[in-house]
Amino acid sequence: MKKSIAIVEDEPFIIEALTFLLENEGFGVSAISDGAEAINFIIKSKPDLVILDIMLPNVSGMKILEDVRAIDEISHLPVLMLTAKGQKKDRRAAEDAGVSKFMTKPFDNEELIKHVKLMINS
Amino acid sequence: MAGALLGTRIRENRKALRLTQKDLAKVAGISASYLNLIEHNRRGIAGKTLNTIARALSVEPSELSDGMNQALVDRLKSAAIRNKQIKTEGDRIEEFTARFPGFARLIARQSDQINIRDEEFTILSDQLKHDPYFAEAMHLLLSNITTIRSTADILAKNKKIPLETSNRFIDNLANEALKLSKTAEDIFDYFEPTSEKQVTTLDLSPFEVLLEKNKFYLDDLENNQRTVDEILTPLQLSSEDYLKTKNSLNAYAEMARNLPINLFLEVAEKHSFDAIALAKHFNSDILSICFRLAHLPNKSNIPKFGIIQCDASGAVLYRKQLNSFSLPRYGGACPLWPVYRSLSQPLQPIRAMLDMPMGDRFHTISFAYPTEVAQIGMPALTEAVMLFTPDYIMLPKISHAQTPQLAVGLQCTVCSRRECSSRRASYLLDNE
Repeated sequence: MKKSIAIVEDEPFIIEALTFLLENEGFGVSAISDGAEAINFIIKSKPDLVILDIMLPNVSGMKILEDVRAIDEISHLPVLMLTAKGQKKDRRAAEDAGVSKFMTKPFDNEELIKHVKLMINS
Repeated sequence: MAGALLGTRIRENRKALRLTQKDLAKVAGISASYLNLIEHNRRGIAGKTLNTIARALSVEPSELSDGMNQALVDRLKSAAIRNKQIKTEGDRIEEFTARFPGFARLIARQSDQINIRDEEFTILSDQLKHDPYFAEAMHLLLSNITTIRSTADILAKNKKIPLETSNRFIDNLANEALKLSKTAEDIFDYFEPTSEKQVTTLDLSPFEVLLEKNKFYLDDLENNQRTVDEILTPLQLSSEDYLKTKNSLNAYAEMARNLPINLFLEVAEKHSFDAIALAKHFNSDILSICFRLAHLPNKSNIPKFGIIQCDASGAVLYRKQLNSFSLPRYGGACPLWPVYRSLSQPLQPIRAMLDMPMGDRFHTISFAYPTEVAQIGMPALTEAVMLFTPDYIMLPKISHAQTPQLAVGLQCTVCSRRECSSRRASYLLDNE
């Protein structure tokens, strides 16, 4: 059965590129842009991995990460944070909130796929 | 010892300028042989001769005499202290200064300049770090670049992409490249305030963009040609922006209803656009009148008004700037502006003429007002507005004759009033 990935990202063209890359590797992909709806979306879609941006409309990706870790049924999910906010304090805040992997934009496609595979298979 | 080296300093300065003793002696009005004695410290000089030689050598007389030389020595000592990691011959600084005054000045000046640059770099770096506009612009840039890099990589490495998909990716690339150049232009405009392109969208709310595009006068709302909803619909805003913009447009519409433009202009002309007189005439609060005056049609017979509204911390809540009076986006404005003084005198309008360093003059009315009913034991929250116009000649003559004149600036870094006691940052052009 296909492993599935949920993308929470507000830039449609980045979603499109990520979707192509991940589907090309055989993953099922779903995406949402609005931070306010992200948690319900993750609960419903029950993905194997979440790719999460920080700067999102309405609710920050950091808050979403905290919520993911606080809700029992999804708290185990690996979360890859993919963000333009690459400062040390952002990375540290994400680590404190329980991020599994922190990557900054712009990213290298192959590097991203490598980490996604590692995270999903572990 | 230093006094005995006056002649040595003259000689070194002369050699640095590649002048012969004969050349310098001629300019100084003395004989070459007498100059030779001076340079070898066998004759002392002072007064007119010293001044003439100093002028010929393009230095201050005191630089040749001990006092200024001591100042130069002190500057070199400071340079050595600032660079402790380099071992210097501290006990020979005076000798070095006397023997090589040109190099001594060069080192002192470069050290001072490096010091100023370091401070300037710290200030600018701090400003950039805390500038929300710049942070947002960089985020946009990185998002654009991310899409372009990732999409281009997909196209380059996947030769068997379906035509429809590859065409879509190529369109995405084109769109992102366009956005990237727009963002880059906006950033350029941000650092180039004199650019003709006044409307940048990055740091403005949709309502502010709408106002800028319509030169701060919404004809449709003024004349009931379109409703707030009819203006909002084509803007295609997110739900958050929609609500904010709707509230702002409703506030504008309320102003237009309470002070209808045709009646207001008729009365305003009679009172020469004086905010205080208009408040009395309309039995209205000064705040409403200030906002009405800042949103009038752009016609030559109507003075141009700008406005700034801030809270008690000085943070800007609303602004309409004029080309000749640009308002800093985030803090850092001149603390001498009367709008800040008005915060300590709520409900008391302050009239003042502002004299800018470059000669521009503005008539201003500042007014602070409580934003809620004060509670016992709690400070009243206060906001303030400052209405300003360069067209003070169109206002009542009596007002600017009886109005205090204030020498102010826009912000320290672009203000040439070097002696200002309120200065908190260096004037950027002073670094040379």
